[in-house]
Amino acid sequence: MGKTIAIAMNTFKEAVRNRILYILLIFALIIMASSGILGELTISARDRIIKDLGIASINFFGVLIAIFVGIGLVYNELDKKTIYTIVTKPIHRRQFLIGKYLGLLLTIYVNMLIMTFFFLAVIHYQNYMDDETMLKALWKPNAAGQYLQPGFFDYAWYYISSVFMSAFKSLATFTLLYNPEITRNILKIVFYGCLELGIITGFAILYSSFSTPTLSAIFTVLTFVIGRLNADIIIFADRMKEKGLLTMGAKIRYNLSWIAAHVTPNLWLFDKRNAVAEDAPLLSIDPYALIYFLFYTGAVLYMAVMIFRRRNFK
Amino acid sequence: MPIPIVQIRDLTKIYIRDVIGTEFGQLKIRLKNRKVAALQSLTLDVEEGQIFGLLGPNGAGKTTAIKILMGLIFPTSGSATLMGKPLGDKSVKSKIGFLPENPYFYDYLKGYEFLSYYGQLYGMSAGERKKKIPELLERVGLSHAADLPLKGYSKGMLQRIGLAQALLNDPRIVFLDEPQSGLDPFGRKEVRDLILSLKEKGATVFFSSHILSDAEMICDRVAILNKGRLINVGALEDILSTRIKTYEIEAADMADELVRDMEAKSNLTLRRKQSVLFSMENQDQAIGMVKKIIDSGGNLVSFIPRRETLEEYFFRKIESKTSDHRTEIDRSSKSSSLNKQEDVNG
Repeated sequence: MGKTIAIAMNTFKEAVRNRILYILLIFALIIMASSGILGELTISARDRIIKDLGIASINFFGVLIAIFVGIGLVYNELDKKTIYTIVTKPIHRRQFLIGKYLGLLLTIYVNMLIMTFFFLAVIHYQNYMDDETMLKALWKPNAAGQYLQPGFFDYAWYYISSVFMSAFKSLATFTLLYNPEITRNILKIVFYGCLELGIITGFAILYSSFSTPTLSAIFTVLTFVIGRLNADIIIFADRMKEKGLLTMGAKIRYNLSWIAAHVTPNLWLFDKRNAVAEDAPLLSIDPYALIYFLFYTGAVLYMAVMIFRRRNFK
Repeated sequence: MPIPIVQIRDLTKIYIRDVIGTEFGQLKIRLKNRKVAALQSLTLDVEEGQIFGLLGPNGAGKTTAIKILMGLIFPTSGSATLMGKPLGDKSVKSKIGFLPENPYFYDYLKGYEFLSYYGQLYGMSAGERKKKIPELLERVGLSHAADLPLKGYSKGMLQRIGLAQALLNDPRIVFLDEPQSGLDPFGRKEVRDLILSLKEKGATVFFSSHILSDAEMICDRVAILNKGRLINVGALEDILSTRIKTYEIEAADMADELVRDMEAKSNLTLRRKQSVLFSMENQDQAIGMVKKIIDSGGNLVSFIPRRETLEEYFFRKIESKTSDHRTEIDRSSKSSSLNKQEDVNG
């Protein structure tokens, strides 16, 4: 286990030096920061827009990190031949591959953590801005009982302290001790997103164990898209069957849909955004989703190991 | 009789090269291909404690053989064992060191970090690494660069840190693929000295090289490969005849008549600014010439009996194999043209 962790930590060190990672992270933070502005454009449901956009950004950029950083990690080891001196050490090839997977997952999760922290801070900040009592408190009466316009420094203090307080509240939310209404369920939704990314990262490692980065990226994106549409594809296939498979074309379409839906993971299982939208009570951990994640990731990594163990490193 | 530390039997590796087709990593679309034998029926043994040189020109199959032994590629047929155990055995891996050709390492790691990471892969504890790494850095002359990232290392420094990672576990056998490739004379000497020091400590060194003069200096046994086939294997003294091949005579202040006489009898004459160098094969003739030089008042600068070098042996063998091959082709083409003529006539 120690050797696998050593490989994982080295993978993490390698991944955090990747510029793409920072570009993606900055983009994600910009989108989340601007979610408040986008929310203002709507007549109602501003909070929902902010939450939906934030959670979608965390998931979407997590997937992008898994694809753009992940698929290069195994390929680079082969391309630069650093793998020669690794797999000749007293380790199994599976330890190398699982180490790479864990290192990549750690990179993604650290980024998810940063994005979630920022997202929660944005929500809390927005909440501060909505609360006018603090802003009103800046107007102080003089001896004559007239309220004086606050100065530049009063406003500066107000905004800066709001930012710091938002960051502090965001941090407190992570401890699970502080759980206000406005950020309810967000951590659990992100947790399910992490499970989803665990599966996607497994696929990225599987594809990069036998193909080039470009093809691996295409395959991973396809898996993600089909996985997200999984439930719809099943409905589509069922409806086709109900109508009757009269032509050869219909039979082919049905079989292809059935295979696509059953071979790819059902990622819909990890999308719990509706719980936020509906302000549902605190989600409990879905054991089915957890077992599904463990089983699917295990199966995908097992396949990757099987391919990798017979691979010639030319 | 002890089991050889390396035992190779009929090892063959055939690559399939695309003539028409494309590859996406392991995904291959092949419309037309041809088989290329990188290694053909290689059989050899290496005894423990030896320095064994695997020699041959580029494309001879040296790296392929080492990669198979290291478990990086799988043989098409044949077998091999290390320390009596099959290739890839984890207990064996912990007793071997390996330096690939033109090594590339994680350039974002510092020298110490890099060795520490590799130490973890050997299962070394933090305490062991703390003790071993400075020693090794000192041994390969990189103590000053321990805190420098590898991307700032020169080629020679990378080769040395590569050697250090191969020696982290005090290996019983070290595999070095072209360890002197790209090094200057100082670097080459350092590698030679390091290999000799490993032997002194009882380790076996299995290395590939095309720098024959260096191999000749340090190897106990060598195997010569060409185009994937083993040409010869054995101890250097068995391979290289102890028989003197030529005698080199260098003399100065000689009469013109004597120089002309010697020139006619020698295989090779080199006129230098102040002396003339003659080379001849016959021992009696050479001794007679030396007497003549001294008797005529000439100045004998040197008289060196020379045996065949590994390089000369290597060229002789490779050329003879090539000419044998050509003769075979000529014969087969002649016979096929004769057959065609017979067909036409008959």
